[in-house]
Amino acid sequence: MSALACADVHVALGGTPVLKGVTLALQPGWTVIVGPNGVGKSTLLRVMAGLLAPASGTVLLQGRPLSAWSARERARQLAWLAQQGEARGELTVRDIVHLGRLPQLGLFTPPGPQDEAIVDAAMAATECSAWQHRHLHALSGGERQRALIARALAVQAPVLLLDEPTTHLDPPHQVALVRLFQRLARTQTVVSVLHDLPLALQADRLVVMKDGRVEAEGAHDDPAVHAALESVFDHAVRVERVGKRFLTIPNLDS
Amino acid sequence: MNGHARLLRRRLVVTLAVLALALVVAGLAAGSEGWSPASLWGPDAPLIVGQIRAPRTLGAWLVGALLGLAGAVAQGLFRNPLADPYLLGAASGATLAVVLGLAAQAMAGHYISLATASLLSSAGLVLGAFLGALGGVLLTLLLSRGAQHTTRLLLAGVVVGVVLGAASDLVTNVAPDALRGKQWFMLGSTSFLGWQSVLLLGAGVLVCVPLAWRLARALDALTLGTDSALSLGLALPRLRLVLVVVLALATGLAVAQSGLIAFVGLVAPHLVRRFAPSAQGYLLVVSALMGGTLLLAADVLARLLIAPQELPVGVLTALLGGGYLLWLLHRRGIE
Amino acid sequence: MRITRWLVSLLLALAAFQAAAAGVSLKDDRGRTLQLAAPPQRVVSLLPSLTESLCALGGCPRLVGTDRYSNSPPEVVALPKLGGIDDAQVERIVALKPDVVLAATSARIIERLESLGVKVIVVESKTHADVQRSLNTLAQLLGTPERAAPVWERIQREMGEAAARVPPQLRGQRVYFEVDASPYAAGPGSFIGETLVRLGLANIVAPELGPFPKLNPEYVLRAQPDILVGAQRNVGEMPGRPGWSALRAVQRQRICGFDPAHYEVLIRPGPRMGEAALQLADCLAALR
Repeated sequence: MSALACADVHVALGGTPVLKGVTLALQPGWTVIVGPNGVGKSTLLRVMAGLLAPASGTVLLQGRPLSAWSARERARQLAWLAQQGEARGELTVRDIVHLGRLPQLGLFTPPGPQDEAIVDAAMAATECSAWQHRHLHALSGGERQRALIARALAVQAPVLLLDEPTTHLDPPHQVALVRLFQRLARTQTVVSVLHDLPLALQADRLVVMKDGRVEAEGAHDDPAVHAALESVFDHAVRVERVGKRFLTIPNLDS
Repeated sequence: MNGHARLLRRRLVVTLAVLALALVVAGLAAGSEGWSPASLWGPDAPLIVGQIRAPRTLGAWLVGALLGLAGAVAQGLFRNPLADPYLLGAASGATLAVVLGLAAQAMAGHYISLATASLLSSAGLVLGAFLGALGGVLLTLLLSRGAQHTTRLLLAGVVVGVVLGAASDLVTNVAPDALRGKQWFMLGSTSFLGWQSVLLLGAGVLVCVPLAWRLARALDALTLGTDSALSLGLALPRLRLVLVVVLALATGLAVAQSGLIAFVGLVAPHLVRRFAPSAQGYLLVVSALMGGTLLLAADVLARLLIAPQELPVGVLTALLGGGYLLWLLHRRGIE
Repeated sequence: MRITRWLVSLLLALAAFQAAAAGVSLKDDRGRTLQLAAPPQRVVSLLPSLTESLCALGGCPRLVGTDRYSNSPPEVVALPKLGGIDDAQVERIVALKPDVVLAATSARIIERLESLGVKVIVVESKTHADVQRSLNTLAQLLGTPERAAPVWERIQREMGEAAARVPPQLRGQRVYFEVDASPYAAGPGSFIGETLVRLGLANIVAPELGPFPKLNPEYVLRAQPDILVGAQRNVGEMPGRPGWSALRAVQRQRICGFDPAHYEVLIRPGPRMGEAALQLADCLAALR
């Protein structure tokens, strides 16, 4: 059963239609949503996270409509990572990751040893344990990103929704993150919006979007998905097979 | 927790506590004769020291604490380091109430009925200012239709400030006698704090500080961004509403007793962040400590600098606070 | 016979002693009744007009402190200055141990002083009747109620003299008395307006506008006052105000401007009201 699904979701932002009838059922594993700029990828993620109410259509979490879930129950099921670093302030990395325990603990229960262990594990997964006492404003873009991802991991939600998690990350950390997603995908539903197409093709499944709709959806090695990918980007990219993997390369020859 | 950070935090609290204690003692000895510790044992001591200087000194600390707390709440709520407690209409509401109280006599018979006039002047300026402050914030909440969106709240606060300010000007136009009183209220003063004030202010601190501290984690979550905080399951509109109420209570109590003292609410959280970066729980409580110490220092200085005359304490806080902000900008400019 | 006379003297002496030792009980302008065991010997005044009234009633020796603006009569200049009505220094006032403090309405200081056990009397002086009443109140406070009447009579005499000095041809002429450059004018309901009436002059301000209305300058222009009165620094720049040069009073120099010392007398509703009237009359008499 799909942990998270959309049925004919329409969303308009400021009068302009952004999502025009999206129907999607997320499968367990790691799914990446790709598409050109402005097609509604982030918006779709936000709708699925319950941060934006659709004008029409429903979002189903574990088979029940999102509106039937209380905010806290929903927060325990869905962890969401914002696209841009809106985060400001003097919190240390450890404090930030601790915020991920809020859905479980609520505002008033102090964290226990179990929570500390979860926080430690989340920081270890994104390799920020070494500087967990540094303050947010003293971190580089990449370090900040990893701290925020750790925060999302600390929620221990069955569904992870990550908007552009690889921003600011250098190749070693991108690769580490991909390995992390692949590991998590064995037990959780991980959904990320990615701009980086070669990385995207390492996921289990892809959702290709254009103009507020889902053009194609399928496994990462599905030729139909590859064709849709090339098509939505106006054939500026070409999908090539390299060994066991698929990559996109810029199409400079035609 | 990092050892170094913990040291910084503890050091700040201890320093503020020691400073506050020293200033309280100094406050008992500073009065109309300047620095006169001998007056502590003089024949008039029970009256001068016990009834005037003691409550004024304690009251100044408590007012500063409330303003410091309110400033920290405002800056956390609006995620803006330039936010101050007067943003949401509390200041303009209190001013209007004070002006109406002062002008009641003058307006009686002409613009308002005699009954209304006697009601206004008997309510007392302190109660009036408190209710006015709460009223101003209520108006802001009504205008922004609750605490749904921070931007709307801010805008509503600005609008309410302008409109109520215009209303005050209108009243002082009609009753110019009230103008001087209004100016003094807007400058702020610690001269009239008695034991009753201290009781009220103390109660305020005992209610507002723990309440704000309990909600501090929500402010921490807000530093991630509104959507991220929502995604963590926080009922943000309700939490914001409670924080706005705490802000209104703390600010209302403070300005009712001592007028619109400048900069304490703005600068206290800044100073705390500068000396001991921390999460919101610590920041809120220690901003109260910092605000208290700041205002108490200003009050003692105000009494000493040109004794037997007094400097208005609002002028000192504006000079010191404004000076600090200028220096801060200068440093940022260099970096 | 001798015993009877001795008894009568004793009774008279006792009665006199009673009267002298009798406490003071009076109602101030808030409607509050003030009780004092004896007439106050140490008085603080927070309003210049009250200072002057008190001194006119012979209470000057009992003053121990005044507000910063009290400067008349000369004896009070040396007294401790305790701030204004809005920023009076609580500690200094209390340290002076006054038996009573004189104040005007609506000041935070009143609440504070009363909570410290200091007795406060609130006396308003907005009209001539107010001034007479305040003289009576203060005289009663001092334990010498009979001294109020002579002071008031002197003021009346001076007013009458001033009225006589006003040239007959100026009677009925319409005056614009400016109290502030905003402009605020003195209406007929204010003590200044009443003095003008005593001098036989009319006021361009209608009574229903109140004692000190803020006017639209157009009102003044349209009213075409015959005489302009005010502080020298205000009337000096009147010709420069837009449209004001069209006023007949400006063109014919029918202006009475007073320097700060004399202007102060004009705007204090106290025992120098008669002197104020004389000042006005002299200026009017000098107009061509």
